[in-house]
Amino acid sequence: MNALVRTFWFAVFTLDEYLRSGRIVVELAAAAVAYYLFFRRWTTPMTPEYFFSTVSLFTLGLTIYTGSSILALGDRPAGYVALARRLGRGPYLLGLYLAVLAVSWGVYGAICLLVAFTNPIRGLDVTGWALGTIPLLLNLALLAAFLTLLTPIVLPAPWRLAVLALVALAFSGSLIGGAALSSLPESVATALDVMRTILSTPLLPAFTGFAISVSRDYSGASAVVPVAQLFLVIGLLAFAVYSFAKREIVFSG
Amino acid sequence: MNIIELDEVHKSYDGVAVLRGVTLRVPPGIVYGVLGPHGAGKTTLIHLMLGFLRPDRGVIRIFGSSNLQQVDGRVGYVPERLRYHTRYTVREYLWYLGRFSGLSGATLRRRVNAEMSATGLDSVADRPMSALSRGMLQRVGIAQALLSEPELLLIDEPTATLDPEGQREIIELLAAVRKRGCTILMATHFLDEADLLCDRIGILHGGRIVAEAETCTLQRPARSIVITVADLPQAAETALTALSPAVHCNRREIVLNPNTPELQAQVVRLLLDHAITIITLAPQRHPIEEFYLEAVRGHPQREESSETPPHGPSGAGDALLHELLRREEQRTLEDQPSRRL
Repeated sequence: MNALVRTFWFAVFTLDEYLRSGRIVVELAAAAVAYYLFFRRWTTPMTPEYFFSTVSLFTLGLTIYTGSSILALGDRPAGYVALARRLGRGPYLLGLYLAVLAVSWGVYGAICLLVAFTNPIRGLDVTGWALGTIPLLLNLALLAAFLTLLTPIVLPAPWRLAVLALVALAFSGSLIGGAALSSLPESVATALDVMRTILSTPLLPAFTGFAISVSRDYSGASAVVPVAQLFLVIGLLAFAVYSFAKREIVFSG
Repeated sequence: MNIIELDEVHKSYDGVAVLRGVTLRVPPGIVYGVLGPHGAGKTTLIHLMLGFLRPDRGVIRIFGSSNLQQVDGRVGYVPERLRYHTRYTVREYLWYLGRFSGLSGATLRRRVNAEMSATGLDSVADRPMSALSRGMLQRVGIAQALLSEPELLLIDEPTATLDPEGQREIIELLAAVRKRGCTILMATHFLDEADLLCDRIGILHGGRIVAEAETCTLQRPARSIVITVADLPQAAETALTALSPAVHCNRREIVLNPNTPELQAQVVRLLLDHAITIITLAPQRHPIEEFYLEAVRGHPQREESSETPPHGPSGAGDALLHELLRREEQRTLEDQPSRRL
């Protein structure tokens, strides 16, 4: 329980510092621009599908910026003073993660409120909004967890490169496919297919989560997708906390 | 039980050895000074004790436990570099750090106020830390370390980045902290600081503690002293040099090397008999300085790779040692004319 309280306070501390640094202006400006370009009232009302697909892509992109900014706050010599206390490494890392999530989810919430008041989406009630929002927020949590894992204080450089290489391999279908794939020797092409299938499996909850967010269709096996997203978030965070606990702490600067 | 126990602790960065078998015992209630030049490995040693780094070999026990994460709340840490979260006011910062230490409510407020008062931060309590001087920031560093009333305080170069006035203030503050009775391990490269604050010192050189001493035992008669006079007539000079081959003089200075209390008394008597004004009488070298040089000379530093580790100590930046040796050479050169006289 104490660890949870300390995690909460470190998240508040980080968020407070982020707000005071003024960097939140970037998120607010980006949200304002996105609202003006994509979500304000034009000639025809928005459809739920348009709203969720657009806001998903925007908030995912913004989370990359927010994540890198906030996680960098944890990689400074000032962190030694916090870590030398009873805080603990797990709460330190999770506090940073929660601060990223708070900003990311907050921006999504702000856009939703603006849209609700100025340009309500035809045919989308609160239940429909919640059904689309849950997988979307979990996808943001997933991306933030992935960014946390890739922070220099968590994984050493070779490991980070290895993880990125595996992700690139999982996504290599658009680059090495069709004619390019058929020109490879059959054994290589088969091996590549197998690798892609294995490596892209952990990414399935993210993609299906995006699809469910847009369609809000939870029929059949889709209902377990948010659960899979949640478990993937927990898995990534557990790996990040484990790695951070095992590493020597040498902050940048 | 010792508060700190290090047995044969080794640590290297990218193949460059920084610590090569540090063995150290710090009993409860004392101030232990780890004395060594920049790059000797002092910060590495403290970061190992805090569990930020892990030794390549050897054992570290704090409060008898080798699981350093278990003792987090019982240890206070004052970092060398004044890198804090400076977007907060002093009060806010201490409040948050108190929260991380598990304090809350009235206890937290009381502790924050008490430590701000004790460290002289009351007047800047609501000022942003980014607007504070280095001296004030170091006071914040000390206040935050004391916030959870630690049993052990690890202080890394407390005055390294301060001007002389700031150094004096922080030394006075640490002298007050010393009275609280907690065990303190302080890394420093300032001999005077170690002399004023420490009960016991260990010389970190070549990656090892090469010598240890109680500072009280170093308060012995200086091995050599310098007497500065207004003017030394030829007759007095002749009489002085006739006293002992250890007496070297010129018109302004008389050096007794090696010094003995008897010789010192003879020389002073002779000067008074000749009605010569004595301006100063001072040890040629500080006892700790002598101890340091003896320790370092007895354990010449090993050849080091020229490569500098990416973070922290290099083991090669022996600036203090070089400075001391340079000063000694200079004194020797200054003494030579008098020897020839």
